Amino acid sequence: MKFTPRQADPEANVNVTPTHPLKELAILLGGLVGLIVGAYILLGFLVDIVVPRISHETEMQLAGLFVGMVPEREDVDEKTRALQELTERIQKQCVNLPYTFNVHVRKSPTINAMAMPGGHIIVFTALLEKVGSENELAFILAHEIGHYAHRDHLRGFGRAMVFMTVSAALFGADSGVSRIVGQALNLTEMSFSRDQETWADEFAQDAVNCYYGHVAGGTDFFNNIPKERDPGKFGHYFASHPENQRRIENLEQRARLNGFRIEKKKALDIF
Amino acid sequence: MDTLLTFLILMAVGYGVGTFAEKRHYKSIHKREKEFLHLPAVTLKTAHYTPDQVASARLVYGSAVISIDYFKKILAGLRNIFGGTVKSYESLVDRARREATLRMKTMAENADVIVNMRIETASVGKQANKKSVGCLEAIAYGTAITLKK
Repeated sequence: MKFTPRQADPEANVNVTPTHPLKELAILLGGLVGLIVGAYILLGFLVDIVVPRISHETEMQLAGLFVGMVPEREDVDEKTRALQELTERIQKQCVNLPYTFNVHVRKSPTINAMAMPGGHIIVFTALLEKVGSENELAFILAHEIGHYAHRDHLRGFGRAMVFMTVSAALFGADSGVSRIVGQALNLTEMSFSRDQETWADEFAQDAVNCYYGHVAGGTDFFNNIPKERDPGKFGHYFASHPENQRRIENLEQRARLNGFRIEKKKALDIF
Repeated sequence: MDTLLTFLILMAVGYGVGTFAEKRHYKSIHKREKEFLHLPAVTLKTAHYTPDQVASARLVYGSAVISIDYFKKILAGLRNIFGGTVKSYESLVDRARREATLRMKTMAENADVIVNMRIETASVGKQANKKSVGCLEAIAYGTAITLKK
């Protein structure tokens, strides 16, 4: 038998799968994105199941993780102390919650206040500059306390926190992907749903009514913000936004239905 | 944002340059394999030649180191999540083995057959830093037999 050497067909290589690499990338990336989106949607449901079950003690332990995200300031000035006292009085007289609230004032052009896990209420300086009466300030603080009562502060963070954990588990905590995810989750972007805001508004109205005996000033903070300014900066207290118009109307209607009185506002003399 | 941009640039460069280099390499491999058709390399341990037929028998070897590109690395990384055939590495291993075999044959010069051929592979430059892009080495070796004319 004569041996005739011949070359195998260069196009038919049994050792290399003839899949186009870009197709492979599309399939794999698609699968990964699909998984993440699926997990994200699932987390949305999980947050609602898990959050009501997080004990107060667990929350206090978790709080450390989040408070670290806000730069801590040593100097507690008079404003902070005044806010702290007002919060404590409202809580003592009108709110029955197992939290020890800590009010922090942070320098920021954002007109906003935030409820952080563990009872830490962050108030931005720009908001304080806009406040015209004590009633108004009390409403804002009570609104944030309302988020605690409904545990929205955990809901708002819950998914973001679990999302970061997932990314860290998949790619490692110090990987580029985790860092990108971390950067995307800005503190100030913690968002509450329409229902959560309405609920906190109503909670605040009740608390303010209990504290002062009337609800004057309750919707002032919406109106105090000039309408021509950039909407991005105002968080959940922005006035000309249609959503907030709805909130004002809801509060006014609710005050009428419940027969809440409107009396003279208390001057802002606590600062 | 910068991280993402760097990532995308690395991916694009990896894919573009990597694909170009691979195509060129395969072209060269096919051309040289055709030229070496007269020199079979077999895995048989012995060839049945009588001692007076053999002019020389000597060790020949060839090795090649091929680097993965960033695109292939990411593709393989994604594969690590889901499992399955790591297709992006297949062509690398294939190229390294065939290049090594060709270099071995080049070393054999005017031999008539290479017997007892073996191929081994090793990864290079992976221990230093886990994040670095690894390389693949393939070494082919055998006994080149030249017959008396």
